[in-house]
Amino acid sequence: MRLEILLTAAFFFGGSCLTGYALRRLLRLGQEGFLFSIVAGVMCWWALMEMILVPMTMALASFTGFVTVYTILVLGCVFAGCFCRKEILADAKQAAGAAREYITPGHAAAFGLILWQLYFIHHHMYLEWDDTYYVNLANEAVQSDLIYWIYPETGAIADFDKRYVLSLWPIFYAWLSKLTGILPTIMAHTVLPWLIIPLAGMVYELIGRRLFPKDRQLQGMFLAMAVLLHLFMSGEHIAGITFLSLTPWVGKGVLAGILIPSLFYWILRTAESEERGLWILLGITCLGGCLLSSMGILLSPLFVGVTAGLAGIRKKSPQYLLKGALSCLPCVLLGIYYIYLTH
Amino acid sequence: MQEFFDIAKTDFMDTFEGAWLFPLLVTAALWILWQEKDLTRKLLLGALPLIFLVLYWCPLTGILFMKILGENVYWRILWLLLLAVTIPYGGCLLLKKRTGLQRLGVFLLCLAGIVLCGENVLSEESFEPSTNVYKLPQYVIEVGELLPGHIHAMMSNRLMPYIRMYDPTITLAFGRNALAYNGIEETTSHEQLLYLEAQKEEMDLDVLIPLAEEMDITFFVFSNNRTYIGKWEDYGYEPYGSTDEFDIFAKKGYENTGEKAE
Repeated sequence: MRLEILLTAAFFFGGSCLTGYALRRLLRLGQEGFLFSIVAGVMCWWALMEMILVPMTMALASFTGFVTVYTILVLGCVFAGCFCRKEILADAKQAAGAAREYITPGHAAAFGLILWQLYFIHHHMYLEWDDTYYVNLANEAVQSDLIYWIYPETGAIADFDKRYVLSLWPIFYAWLSKLTGILPTIMAHTVLPWLIIPLAGMVYELIGRRLFPKDRQLQGMFLAMAVLLHLFMSGEHIAGITFLSLTPWVGKGVLAGILIPSLFYWILRTAESEERGLWILLGITCLGGCLLSSMGILLSPLFVGVTAGLAGIRKKSPQYLLKGALSCLPCVLLGIYYIYLTH
Repeated sequence: MQEFFDIAKTDFMDTFEGAWLFPLLVTAALWILWQEKDLTRKLLLGALPLIFLVLYWCPLTGILFMKILGENVYWRILWLLLLAVTIPYGGCLLLKKRTGLQRLGVFLLCLAGIVLCGENVLSEESFEPSTNVYKLPQYVIEVGELLPGHIHAMMSNRLMPYIRMYDPTITLAFGRNALAYNGIEETTSHEQLLYLEAQKEEMDLDVLIPLAEEMDITFFVFSNNRTYIGKWEDYGYEPYGSTDEFDIFAKKGYENTGEKAE
């Protein structure tokens, strides 16, 4: 299983990093580093999946058809990233030069805590009651080649549940399963934690870098405290980041622990410099949030609305508010569609 | 209005129960508002969590969110409080002016504060040691290894949520929604009668089998502490296998069609 985890992680992080580079060039974002590229790339993958998956599910497309279309598009993004050698080399040079700066007590503590978390989760199991629905949704996609037209708990053919049809996060790991040949149950419970938990760490590292750009020690300490909070939280299961620590394969946990902090990061960035590319990334992240959970369709625009509202008032800029509202457009459109489906 | 406050209070207590992270969050937010010089950061890191708390407790916005989200998941609004950003930032403001060993010492105190205020998430109470790569209970794997694929089965409630995660080609007569049938005393629904019969310590095969055949069930997996009125063989079934905890019965000459049940 170690090899499967390693290969899946290499594909996920390597592919998303290259996608991030392609996106950065397209959006004309300057030297941002590898972590930025990975986070941007992952958000792009999720948003792209949401864009393709919703119409294909409604059109009763086969899972194989979806895998083919999505894989071609993802590989296209990865391939485009391969042409960003100049940016990759520049980031690699900078990372190599600054590598020693990151050897701080905070970074060491955070790294140790993340490793401990991964080790613990790898050697333990958490019996999530809802897995019988969500993990089996992924299992059924691979097994029956139908996207969500099977009631996952029993395997009977059924109409899809309209409450969840816009947020089919399990199809993401069903896709990874199809590419790697691993059963989605194993992908979710054993492989996915190795992708999602480090990804959460990357988002907090990016936030720390933005908050303390000149103090690597503080960046590390910020990260260590953020990671520790994931390990010492409250409210069995229902507190957002507890969700991520207990069940890193559940879309709601990813929404609470990765996506909402990512939205915060993009808003922090736009509050400092209103680059068009950053607004587009905020919009892409909002769309990615809709894939993770139907909660993302409401919580993402609510978070962006309040946060961008605050920043806009501070800047006394109606334009800023307008751009914030525009970035929520994907959620608003899906929200309207959700209301149409459920009423 | 009272109902709103009851739900909001229950959800809030459930989210922060067993820990002191809420006081830590509020302290960090107030500390940021006091110490931070940059107004944008003051707003985004100090005021933001307090605004979301106001939105959560305000009946006007709260009732609206409750209507949109659903009353039973109102607590999800609390996900918007970025504890893992606000608390560390508050801590870092404390560390900012310190250097060397003093900074390291305060950093360790901050970590200790988080540990003391929080509750260990990765505890043996929530997790069990994993014995297989599926991360499923071992008894599920043992039953799954015995069963052939592409069968339609009725299973013990202990197996029902997990067995299809081991082998998704197995289809089940009941999902979790059948648990709602527990406690029903009078019904004419054959599906409910079948489920209720299967919950008895002693099952009457005269009742169970005809109802099961209506649902095309060819395999039964029940706890081995169950007893039966009648012999399985008399109804065209035979013991198929057993594990330490479960007995499996299969219809003689069952056909493995691989088709989905409607």
